This record gives sequence, structure tokens and C-alpha cells, in this order.
Amino acid sequence: MPFLENTRFLSAYLGDQAEKVAQLRCLLAEKFPAMQPKTGGIFHTGLADVDAAEGGLRRAALTELCAASGAGALFIHAMLRAVCQERCFAALVDAARSFEPDCPASLARLLVVFCADAMQAVKATDLLLRDGNLSLIMLDLQAVPPRQLQRIPANTWHRLQRFAEQTTAAVVVLTPQPIVEAAQVRITAGEGWTLAAQRRWQRDLIAMARWHVFARRCVGHHPPALENERECATA
Amino acid sequence: MFAVILLPNFRLQAALRFREEMHAQPVALMDEQTPKAGLLEISEAAALAGVMPGQTSPQALARCATLTILPRSLTEEHNAQAALLEIARMLSPEIEATADGFCTVNLRGLRVNDWQALGAGVMAGLASLRLRAQMGIGPNPDLAFLAARHARPVLVVQSPAAFLADLALHELDPAPELLAVLHDWGIHNLAQLTSLPRGDLMDRLGPEAGRLWERAAGQTERPLRIVRTAVEFCEAFDFEHEIGTAEPVLFLLRRFLDQLALRLGNAYRVAGQMTLTMPLANGSAYERTFTVPSPTADVDVLFRILHTHLDGLRLDHRATGLQLLITPTRAERQQFQLFETPLRDPNRFGETLGRLAALVGEENVGVVEMLDTHRPDSIRLRPPRFNELGNVAMPADDFAVALPLRRYRPPVAAQVRVVRHQPAQLESARVCGAIRAVLGPYRASGGWWDSDRWSTEEWDVEMEGGGLYRLARVGHEWRIEGSYDEPLPGNRRDAPPIVAMPSTGL
Repeated sequence: MPFLENTRFLSAYLGDQAEKVAQLRCLLAEKFPAMQPKTGGIFHTGLADVDAAEGGLRRAALTELCAASGAGALFIHAMLRAVCQERCFAALVDAARSFEPDCPASLARLLVVFCADAMQAVKATDLLLRDGNLSLIMLDLQAVPPRQLQRIPANTWHRLQRFAEQTTAAVVVLTPQPIVEAAQVRITAGEGWTLAAQRRWQRDLIAMARWHVFARRCVGHHPPALENERECATA
Repeated sequence: MFAVILLPNFRLQAALRFREEMHAQPVALMDEQTPKAGLLEISEAAALAGVMPGQTSPQALARCATLTILPRSLTEEHNAQAALLEIARMLSPEIEATADGFCTVNLRGLRVNDWQALGAGVMAGLASLRLRAQMGIGPNPDLAFLAARHARPVLVVQSPAAFLADLALHELDPAPELLAVLHDWGIHNLAQLTSLPRGDLMDRLGPEAGRLWERAAGQTERPLRIVRTAVEFCEAFDFEHEIGTAEPVLFLLRRFLDQLALRLGNAYRVAGQMTLTMPLANGSAYERTFTVPSPTADVDVLFRILHTHLDGLRLDHRATGLQLLITPTRAERQQFQLFETPLRDPNRFGETLGRLAALVGEENVGVVEMLDTHRPDSIRLRPPRFNELGNVAMPADDFAVALPLRRYRPPVAAQVRVVRHQPAQLESARVCGAIRAVLGPYRASGGWWDSDRWSTEEWDVEMEGGGLYRLARVGHEWRIEGSYDEPLPGNRRDAPPIVAMPSTGL
């Protein structure tokens, strides 16, 4: 049975490799304890689809919301509600100065930073990530011209991801198209609102929106839905 | 018991507080207002070189070529005196600012077993504030003062008669005529003076001789003129040359903060506000007040606030001096709520806000405040006060209707073709095409009672190719105020929407 032998050999080889990688990780964790990624838990969003898939937004990780501008604005307002519910503080870095508030009560816990362009917004997000005081940071790049988005170096997102790992903040980057390579989770949303939406309660619109969550596998994080399966596998 | 704390060479000490490198050098102090009066005070190294107080600067420089002559600074003296009084306040609330560099403290009611240890503690406190002092403790203020003069550095007068007996007559600073008469009589010390009958002495030499006798006998009593502690803590420095870079300023600010933190600690206070003042070469002054988000006496935190600000500061003129004033407050106590997530480090957050303000401008960072008007886009950003927010109740269930708007700032000018009083075709730099459906008009106006009059007519429109926008007509001009939803690049309405909603045409 050469196939079976090959499989055994491969699994033994991979087992050795996995053990070595695990040892290397332990060594790095000992040498650089400050660089150890924190699995900071979950920020509950109140969005049924997102909470069902991941429990909420991953803390200490970068999430990309890739959607049309209407869904992005709706997401921001949904997050404002969640922030008030959690009684924590959030920041919105608005690269196009397009944020329009509609509910004064929910604004008290939101720090807004209006930026001149995308690069300035990335720098502002960098500062907020280093601060470590806020539970949710939203970088809104949806209304930014595509040319500005293309100018952001790809390593910027990896750097932000590294900073995010040192905090317990959930970081969401709102973009019109996928650009954040380092995102641990990508959320997309349906588009195509019609004028009838203008006659509905906003809370109903948030409930009606469909969010699709695509999570990247990462070390130390197991979505709640998979916990049982993992326990079964261990048993 | 009374204590007198005396700072020898007070004016020179005040001038040298932040010039540590000059402590071992020959230094003299001169009043620039009265240069003819000569040198006011000199350092030990200058005295060893033969310089004497009262000499003119050419005379002094002839004796010691390496002599540094500093100008007298009243601000620095004032701050040194304030530091002295703050240390004295630790002993008793009844203190008298008797003269510059010299204060008297009423120690009655203070239960102390070891007066020497008490004095040593005071000396250590003053040494940490870069002040060298002498302290005398005695049963009355005059005796304590005489003891302070002879203290090295602390002298406690347990037996006044024994202490006074050996003192020379001139220690009491009598009038020169009186001193001459007494010397003629062969009286040179206080024991000899007090051996004379007081009444006979007054008969012959007058009432002044009687008062001198009482002081020599250690029998004088006088009430203290109590002073209150300063409500602000200040340190200042006058540069010898104009300063054009931030490094010397930061260096001095760090030293100031070290001192001010000690002074705040002595008064059991923390810094609530800091005011930085820099006199400039053109005669004006730069002033900036910083509110400490979470009042503290932590030097690193306070320094970071100043450092962050100075990093991005550009001045048109060079600085000639520096002053840092701290308004103290009590350390705050906060009871956190069980289900609340407060700011972990409010001071760090304040610093981040400073950096953000430097990056995007102060008017572009903060919490949104909606102005009390119906005029579109009437918002402003104000500095956040998350710490004062407390346990703000969650908005129960808000009544916002419709998709949130993404406002174009500034609005995009547009040309609109109107058919039957409704927009039918839109042309602009951002969006072009036929309009499928509209909602509106929504009219609003205000300010008609004054010159700031405004009026607008808003329409929500759905484009044939997808996308929801808000149009506004102001006067005869159309503009796009923002979008509710814009199709993604390349996506048109040909494909069925994922969240399908019935279209409404009017």
C-alpha cells in the first residue's frame, strides 16, 4: 500500500514540523513576551450574521468590511449602538470627512477624526492603535478615491495588524474593494438599496442587511461555533 | 517652640537652582537695576578667589578672571521662597514669611522627641528642591533666628541662657551708636549685657536699650504674621542667550517638573493644569495651558504632555525665558461601574489626542456635537471628556429613519433637469444619469430673523444605474449633498440586488 505508507510518512513528517514550529513559537514567546499576540476576545456587534459566525468582531485583530458605501455607513451606525450597549469607547477615522451623525445620544462615546486623505487616516489609526485605550477603531476608507487607496503600501496593513495584536481593540477597515491583505476576518455585505429604504426605521435596515463573514484561520483563535468540534476531536 | 529656616545667600541660591554646572565655579550676583551698588552675593569659590560683595564688576573680574556674573532674577527668588514656605508648611500651618529666604514656624502643639531628626528631615526636603538651608529651633522667634544663624545645619536651643551668654553683642543688630556706647563700657557679649540691671540701662540709654536687654535675655515674644500657601506652583528660568531649538527647553522643563512634582507631593496635591509661558525676543510671550486629563504628579506623564506639544510647535521668534506654572488639585478618586469599560490610561489618551491634533488639526479631532439648529451639516468636534462621561444610559431605541447619509464635504455642484417639478436627470462631476425615483422635496429654512438667513430644498433620488443620493437646491443652484448608497465600481443595477427592496416611484 504505497499510498498509505506515503500518507503515514507525510503525517509523521508534518507532525515533526508542527512540533518544531510549536517549539519555535514557545521560544519566541519567552524571548519576546511583549510581542506575544493577545487573543483579546470578541466585541459583540449586535449584527446577527456577524455574531453568529464569529461571536462578533475579533479583538486584537484586523477586520475588513468590504462593501458598498451604504452598507458601510449602516455598519458604522450599528457599531455606535453596540458601543453604547457595551459602555466602552470607540474611534472613527474618517478619511473622506463623510460621517454624518443622526443620533446625538450615541455620539458621546465616539471619537471622530476627520482626515484629509487616506495616508493621513492610516497614520491616525496607527496613533490610536498605539494608545490602547479604545475598544473599537474604525478606519473608513469607503469614500476615498481609488487612486488614494492604491497608494497605501501593502505592508501598512501588516504593521497595523502587528499593533492590533498588542491591544484588545477590534479594528475594522471599511473599504470599497478588498485591499487589506492582513485582515483576519473579511466581511462583505449585500448592496442595492432602493429608495424604499428611506421610509424604514434604521434599526430595521440594520436587521435586514446581510453580512457575509470570511474568517482567516489564525493561531490561538477558535470561533465559538467550532469549539465543540475541537473538543470532540481532542476526545 | 519656634523654628526658623534660613537660606544663606538666598538670592544667589535662587539664581543657581537650575544651573547645577555653576555650583563649584566662582559666581557672583548683580542687580541689573542698580549696577553701581556692586555685587550682591558671591559663591564660596568666588570668595576664595578674593572677590567680595559690594565690589563693582571690573574690580571683581580683576580679582578673578573666571568669575561669572549673573543677573538677579526676582521670579526665581519668588519661586525659591515659595518652595521654602511649602516645606515649612509641612511642619505647621502657622508660618511667617519673615523675609526673603527666611521663614519662622510656630511648632507649638507639635509632639517631637528628636528635634535634630526633625531638622534633618527639613534639610533633606529643601536639598531635594536644590536649596541649602540652616535651621534653628528655640522657645521664641528671636532665639530661633539666632540659632538658625549659628546652625550647621540644625541647632536646637534647649537652654537659652547658656546659648545667649557667649554670643557677641552685634549678633542682635543694635543701633551703631548704642553698640559704640556699650563697647566703651566694656560690654561685648550678651551675658555681660544681661548682668546689668534693665531699669538702670533704660534710664541711661533709653527704651531701645531696654528692648535690646530683653532680646539678650531671650524674653521677647511676638505674634507671627501668618501667610497662606500659594495656590499655584511655579518654576521659571531666564535664558542668558535666546533659544531657538526645543532641546534646551525640554531639558529645563524636565528639571522644572522634577521640582514641581516634589513640591506637589509635599502639599499632597497633584497637577490639574499646566501653563507653559515662553517670553519671546520680540517682547511678546507664547502661552499655552494644558489640562491634565487625569490629574497626576507623575513627572513622566506631565513631561510627555509638554513634549508632545513642543514637538510640533513652531515660533516666529526665539525664546528668552521659560516658565511653567502648575495649578494643583486633589487626586481624583473614581468608583468604576461594574459593566463599564473606562479609559485605561486617560493621560495617555490625552497625549494621543495631542498627537492627532498635531496630525490633522485640532478642529478635526473630537466628539461630534450637533448644533442647536436644523441647518444641514451643523456639527462641530469638541474635545472628548470620556472620563467625565460616567455611566451614561444607553439610548433606549433611537428613532433614526432611513439609510445614514455619507455627506460630501464640500457638496458637489450639479445640473439637474426638472420635469413636472421633480428632478429627472442629473449631471455632475461625480454622478450622471437619469433619475429613476425621487422622494421629496424636504424644505427647511432658518435664520430669517437675522443676516445669516438660509433656505434649502432637499430631494432623495435613486439613479437608473443604481445609487441613492441627496440633492439640494439652494436658491437656483443644485448640488449633491451626499450619498446614501453608491454602487461598487463595475456593479450596475443589471444584477438583482442581494437585499431586494421594492422601488418606489413618485
